[in-house]
Amino acid sequence: MTDLTQTATGTDAQPPQGRLAGQTFARVLQGGLIIVILYFALYALYFYQQPRALSAGSIAALMNNTVPLALAAAGQTFVIISRGFDLSVASVISVCNVVMAVYPLDGPGGAVMSVLMCVAIGGSVGAVNGFLVAYLRLQSIAATLATMIICQGVALVILNAPGGRVADWLSYELTDQLFKTIPISGLFVLAVVLGWLYLRRTSFGISLYAIGADEHAASLSGINVRKVRFFTFVSAGVLYGLAGFMLSAQTATGNPTSGTPLLLLSFAAVALGGTSLSGGKGSLFASVMGAATLMLLQKVLFSSGVSSFYTGVFQGCVLVIAVVFSGLIEKLGERAAKL
Amino acid sequence: MSNETATLSQTGDTRKAARIKRETVSTIAIAIICVLLLYLSRFISPALGSWSQVETVLILGSFLVVVAFGQGLVILTGGLDLSIPALITLGGVLSTAAVGAGNPDAWYLLPAALLACGFVGFLSAVGVVWLRVPPFIMTMATSIIVASAALGITKGTPRGYAPEAAVALMKSHILGLPSPIVFVICFVFLGWLLQERSPLGRYLYAIGTNPEASRIAGVPVTAMQIFPYVISAMCAGFAGFMLVGYSSGATLRMGDDYLLPSIAAVVIGGSSILGGQGSFLGTVGGAFLLTILGTMISAIGLEFGLRTIIEGTIILIALLLLREELFNRIRSIRRKA
Repeated sequence: MTDLTQTATGTDAQPPQGRLAGQTFARVLQGGLIIVILYFALYALYFYQQPRALSAGSIAALMNNTVPLALAAAGQTFVIISRGFDLSVASVISVCNVVMAVYPLDGPGGAVMSVLMCVAIGGSVGAVNGFLVAYLRLQSIAATLATMIICQGVALVILNAPGGRVADWLSYELTDQLFKTIPISGLFVLAVVLGWLYLRRTSFGISLYAIGADEHAASLSGINVRKVRFFTFVSAGVLYGLAGFMLSAQTATGNPTSGTPLLLLSFAAVALGGTSLSGGKGSLFASVMGAATLMLLQKVLFSSGVSSFYTGVFQGCVLVIAVVFSGLIEKLGERAAKL
Repeated sequence: MSNETATLSQTGDTRKAARIKRETVSTIAIAIICVLLLYLSRFISPALGSWSQVETVLILGSFLVVVAFGQGLVILTGGLDLSIPALITLGGVLSTAAVGAGNPDAWYLLPAALLACGFVGFLSAVGVVWLRVPPFIMTMATSIIVASAALGITKGTPRGYAPEAAVALMKSHILGLPSPIVFVICFVFLGWLLQERSPLGRYLYAIGTNPEASRIAGVPVTAMQIFPYVISAMCAGFAGFMLVGYSSGATLRMGDDYLLPSIAAVVIGGSSILGGQGSFLGTVGGAFLLTILGTMISAIGLEFGLRTIIEGTIILIALLLLREELFNRIRSIRRKA
């Protein structure tokens, strides 16, 4: 973590690509190591309770449950690294969901059209957020609160009560497995993580961390802070659009408030992944793992016979413990670096 | 955020004068907008703009004023309280289940319910202050925990009746005025005294502006960081009690509609979401503005979705109008002239 802040605040805005490439992989592991360990520990517990847990079918079912939250958390990570909050995540997902339920487009061609439509919806809401925050300098939490309420209204205008039906092709194919083993929905997340690994190396990725760590220093070192902030919100919006697309494929029906539960959970997933909410640090991969852990926790609790009423008690406790723990690890790391 | 500090240090000596001016201006602006909207609503429907509508707005807005006071204190110190909906529900459930269930005489159960809420707020504060969990995450966690505990304990459907005290608070009249209006006037006065005119309030402003400097200046920083969360939780619990008196029963989702408005009221009221800036009267104005808009929009008879769009747009416009930069620009124009 310490070398990261050095990169971000150092005078050298673009370090040599080779060194950076090596660091990137280390950083991804470092950023997500705790949460990956936690995930596998939890999965071992799940396997102990349910020997079927390792079958392709149940892995795919878990993956399908996880993907919408993972994508939403991935988008949220962008904004949080740049030191902002994005509340619009919930209603962008709802809008995409109702659009897909009210205007179902069947077949592979329809799927491509639908995904483009969701990406366009998410991207344009993100562009509005980005404009409000980067150019009009509104506080991100306040600006996205307003766009969230507006988008919630749009979702309710399109579909005022749960209903509609998502195209069959989508809901069957996207929740299926490739070669009977690899869950198709997982490939979407894989693509996003790979895209992130690439983006992380680009000047946009470096600038993203830099403006989150110290906006003033970043702008002094020649980064166009407004532009980077704008595209941060646009990228986040695009990922919310994808999350809405995958959620629709999974639920196969429309609901104008389908995104609402994902709002707090997306923050929880990001925090669980160890991304600092004060910006400048964090990893998208860790947030995806955070999302996966939250959903796996639900399964484990269910198979332990805990009433589903009490799921929240455990989610909340795990969240606090994870944040405290990752803070401790970070502090230990800093102390070790100083010695 | 670094820009924010830069502007603060640049303005230097004029800062205090500027702060007072900015907050007074935005509070008066909101009050004018409220009155104008109330008057203009006559044109939407003849039933509006009358005294009875003013009464309705004051009663409906009282819940929001109470929770926004707590939220405002937390925001003032640089935090954020997301546990308000869960605590409204907890307050409501405890008042119906414990107080209202055949114990109308056990008056001590109401303070006990409020203390329970305050304890949850204390737990949030412990997480924020000692465990160094960001306020956003900590209050979200307590919110999830309390909501699911309430769900589990009530098995999904809260039972019991509204306590007589709650019904008396919300449904009776004092000196010809509905009692909730009298209550909200007293509440606003006490809140204003606490936040703007007491040493306690000044400590909170100091912490929100610069915790390190306040520590050196001898402000009991830790206690002052815990205090707003406890008050916010108790306010939310009390709002739950009021809601129970108003609607004669508790539901598990009764608090859901108050989280975003509580933040919106504070922000529209001219407070900085980063802390150290704002006034309670502005927040009160923001809360009533939101309530007036709500009643007006529902009177137009639009479908719910369109109403929501209008509400969001108005919040956005208010934010754009009350922008920090706009004030700075006006000020610098005046200085040049």
